[in-house]
Amino acid sequence: MHMPALREDLRGLWLLVIWDLNRMKSRTLFVVMRVSWFALQVSLFGLALSAMVRFRAIAGTNLDYYHFYLFGIYTSMLFSISVSKAYDIAEEFEEGTIEYLLSLPFPRRVLALGRSIGGGVASFLFTLPMFAFIVYLLGSYDPVALTVSMISALAFSIGVVGFVLTVVLSLKSSDSTDIAFGLLDAILVRLSTVFYPALVLSKIAPYYYAALVNPLSHMSDLLRTIFFFEEFKAIAVANPDLMAAYVFGLAVGLSTLAVLVVEKAVEGGGWK
Amino acid sequence: MSKSGEFRSIALIVYRDLTRFWKYKFWLAGQIGMNLADILIYALVFTNMVNTQLIPDYFKFFTTGVIAIAAFASAFSIGREVGIEIRREYTHYLLGLPFTRWVLITGRILGGTLRGLIYQSSFILLAALLVGVPDLYGWLLIAVTSTALSASMSGLAIAISSSTKDFNLQATFRALTYYIFFFFSNVFYPRQVLAMRFPKPLAEAIGYMPVSIAADIYRWAFRYNLEIDIGQRFLLLMVWTTGMLIIASLIYLWNLTRG
Repeated sequence: MHMPALREDLRGLWLLVIWDLNRMKSRTLFVVMRVSWFALQVSLFGLALSAMVRFRAIAGTNLDYYHFYLFGIYTSMLFSISVSKAYDIAEEFEEGTIEYLLSLPFPRRVLALGRSIGGGVASFLFTLPMFAFIVYLLGSYDPVALTVSMISALAFSIGVVGFVLTVVLSLKSSDSTDIAFGLLDAILVRLSTVFYPALVLSKIAPYYYAALVNPLSHMSDLLRTIFFFEEFKAIAVANPDLMAAYVFGLAVGLSTLAVLVVEKAVEGGGWK
Repeated sequence: MSKSGEFRSIALIVYRDLTRFWKYKFWLAGQIGMNLADILIYALVFTNMVNTQLIPDYFKFFTTGVIAIAAFASAFSIGREVGIEIRREYTHYLLGLPFTRWVLITGRILGGTLRGLIYQSSFILLAALLVGVPDLYGWLLIAVTSTALSASMSGLAIAISSSTKDFNLQATFRALTYYIFFFFSNVFYPRQVLAMRFPKPLAEAIGYMPVSIAADIYRWAFRYNLEIDIGQRFLLLMVWTTGMLIIASLIYLWNLTRG
């Protein structure tokens, strides 16, 4: 590729990321709702759950269930917020905004990649205060752990938004998008290690195998391992290198898939 | 308008709301999927983790409790529609129809109640299969509790959704109310667990929320927990229902007529 063309593509990518970030600013109420939901989950639901589970006895670890739960709930929140980009994208198709974006002077692959990265960055930034609150509750401020976990969360979010873009373009219906992501969110969160370790899931084989391939399991267990390596490494869904490779592979693979789908599936009026 | 005319008008409004209920099959499928996933995945797995001295059988505990949440979620669907009517000012047309405002309000709340009952019935049958079949008195209690809970939640949803024309604000109010009822209830955890982690007044207050009261009655009816003062719980639910229906009706009337 010629250097001027590459520079133009990168400029387009940057503009799309900024565009997605600006759109997040107009969603104050959505932010209020999610933050309230998060506060209730962490302060009431999480504390009550940790009072009734016998986590150390069944998991054989010194890790407290509440700490285990905090990373799980953060991962599920990051996933839900990244998935919520699906509603924005579906709305853009219905309102014709996508036709405007397609008319802009950059290739479709830049459009797909820009939306994946922009949506991912916006979702990640949106959850940053929640992440900070969790870190405060844990009282663990290791800069390496904080940096690695934030890079992982950003990669995870980019991957999920890439997936969302692919599915919205494949379904081409806001109703189907609504139900597909509502169900996907509900099932993926429950069939993962967000609320319970893989060890407990191993008593029900189909649930266990579903959790082993579930991206939410890898993301939440990766965060737990980063912060509580000694306590958690024995019961994580995989070893840390594998989990990290999974999360970064997810980001690259699903963004590439979004590029392929956008290049083929988006035609003028194709949505209707 | 004669009494029979009023009843006919109410029946027409209820019929209209019920036929529109099936229009949202995508939404219904999503809700059912979420509640089923809660029972068949979350509750089943959690049963292996919960301290049995606190909750002897978490699966049965949760399956009977989730019925209360099911009524809440489905009755709230009427709120979505009332919200759309308010935003599009379709309410002016409704107010122009030849029946009184109280007929309209009664019809809408009844429509929402029936939606809640229809949706909830599948979870009641599932609980009967998974937990045990109630006796005749139990079925009667379940029927009255479900009707009362669905009616109060339907009224609440209508009152909230009609309070603003802003779509985002409506959605936010509804979601916040849902999560407050959802987490501040004993569907997921019994009172003694809450008392272990929170100040006693908070744990007690959660036990007196309508969803908690309904969950207690379901647990009694399905014979999961018979150590409940069923008379007191039933009376409390009736007080809640009456209060919420009166307040919700007045708010809806105010919102309909404030111009």
